[in-house]
Amino acid sequence: MTAVISTFEVCRYFGDDQETMVKAVDRVSIEIERGEFTAIVGPSGSGKTTLLHLLGGLDNPTSGSVELSGTNIADMSGATLSDFRRDHIGFIFQSYNLIPVFSAEENIEYIMLLQGVDASERKRRVADMLQQVGLEGLGNRRPNKLSGGQQQRVAIARAMVSRPQIILADEPTANLDSKNGIALLDLMKELNQQSKMTFVFSTHDEKIMSRASRLIHMHDGEIELDELR
Amino acid sequence: MLLLKLAFRNIFRQRRRSLLTALSLGGGYILCVFSFSLSEGSYNSAISFFILDHTGHIQIHQDDYLLRPKIHKTIDDPQGLSELLDANDEIISHTLRVFAPAIAYSDTDNAPARVIGVALERERSTSTLAVKISAGVYIDDTLDAEGYYSAMIGAGIANNLNIGLDDELILISQGADGSIANDIYIVRAIVGDRTSPDRATVFLPLIAAQEFLSMVDSVHEISILLQDDGAARSVATSLQEQLPELSVAPWQVVESTFYQSMQADKQGNVFFMGFIIFIVFIGVLNTVLMSVLERTREFGVLKAIGSRPFKIALMITCETSLLASLSLIAGLLVSVPFTAWFSAVGFELAEPMNIGGIVMSHMTGEMSLYVFGAPLLLIIFFAIIISIPAGIRAARISPTEAMRSH
Repeated sequence: MTAVISTFEVCRYFGDDQETMVKAVDRVSIEIERGEFTAIVGPSGSGKTTLLHLLGGLDNPTSGSVELSGTNIADMSGATLSDFRRDHIGFIFQSYNLIPVFSAEENIEYIMLLQGVDASERKRRVADMLQQVGLEGLGNRRPNKLSGGQQQRVAIARAMVSRPQIILADEPTANLDSKNGIALLDLMKELNQQSKMTFVFSTHDEKIMSRASRLIHMHDGEIELDELR
Repeated sequence: MLLLKLAFRNIFRQRRRSLLTALSLGGGYILCVFSFSLSEGSYNSAISFFILDHTGHIQIHQDDYLLRPKIHKTIDDPQGLSELLDANDEIISHTLRVFAPAIAYSDTDNAPARVIGVALERERSTSTLAVKISAGVYIDDTLDAEGYYSAMIGAGIANNLNIGLDDELILISQGADGSIANDIYIVRAIVGDRTSPDRATVFLPLIAAQEFLSMVDSVHEISILLQDDGAARSVATSLQEQLPELSVAPWQVVESTFYQSMQADKQGNVFFMGFIIFIVFIGVLNTVLMSVLERTREFGVLKAIGSRPFKIALMITCETSLLASLSLIAGLLVSVPFTAWFSAVGFELAEPMNIGGIVMSHMTGEMSLYVFGAPLLLIIFFAIIISIPAGIRAARISPTEAMRSH
């Protein structure tokens, strides 16, 4: 198996003063293989979100490296990093973060527009994704006309439609009730198995983490336990 | 296309705020159009006034007669030149003139006068001399039974010499050949009133003035009226190539003092309007910055999923320009009919106004591409300029920090 993404001794510290410095992520080295369905778990403040941001190139590490398919993204910035994220990484956020003035279809289509995918292909892939996430017939609704679960399904479709190498989800079920949260995780797992797309998500919900095939336990910015299930 | 759609929908997210911004932009545009229309209308009226009063669109002289007029600086083949000008389709009409200073006498008084000999029929179709007659009739160039030519005199001369219609007028001057020129004329018309620019002028038939000043067939000036007001410079250039031995000048050169002060005033007006629009745009900048601040999280998400920083900045420019364009469309809908009325009807001034030495009591506007286009470009320009700082701010948003904001 080849690692889709790996970190080596990656650190992310906040603050310059030694006494007040917060070590959000401290010397973390991990390798995530293609097709994994990995959960990063730990209490609030353990560094889960910061690690996900580092993996996704949303934040630059204080030291160490983050490699996605052999490319060190820690040194990238500006338009190059934007293009890299657009083409290789999909994001799912805790509070959905859909563009409120776009319909569900347009939210999914937008990233393909950035990629320069032609109109007919965009239309075909949007319809396909809506069908995969079970939102057929709701494509023309704006986010405020969708439930929380439906919005997060649109967010999943948006993250997957660009065919990234890895999807990073930061507490994707935190704003959903447990029934909808589990349903959403089951959907993500199903898509992971169908498409062999790599999923890494953070959570502190016991029920949710039970769906993961690998659990990376974090505490105070460090990896406490890395277990395969 | 999706970017435009996004910009359009974002404008309508905060409808009340967008409406207020659009009102200030549209209002600023209407104000600018009105100001430009008024300025252009006033100056065009002034230009029309002196072009028809005496200047014409183009004048032809010998050498530097325009700067240093001398009686011997003459055009010696005016008839040949007239045939050339008559054959030019761009020219409506032209007239021939001679000028000389003189002393005018009546039985009891004397006064300085400016003698202008005019080709009477050509003058009638080139200038407004005929309509400026306040008493008497437009003269002809025939001698009366006693062998005198007729004259039209300014109301100031008539008053100073205490003479009226059918009275004798004696003129004394110096001829082109150095001789003493003197002759008697019969007053057949009074021109204007005692405040008119022509108050000290004596108009004679061209042939009478040429005889009086011993100028044979020569003239000092040919004034030309064109079909197209805007063609003065191009036709003058073309005529100058055909008449290299003479000096051909468009009205902008003949009336250079007026033209330069008009241009300076227009530039001042553009600057002033630009300043007003700038003030309006300070308010718009506040709106745009507020809009960026409110959507910090959204811009963070757009960056996170792969929008380039430039694309985010472009989106802000697109939104601001679109809002400005919608305001301009509304501004045009109001200003076009209003300007049309203003240019067709205008209004009377409570007090006459002096514009470049020409007194005007009725104001009309101008309806032209410049009047509507210049403020439009000014507003679009400022819309793009003020969107830059807001766009940079949005483009620099860090996705991780944006995600933490609410």
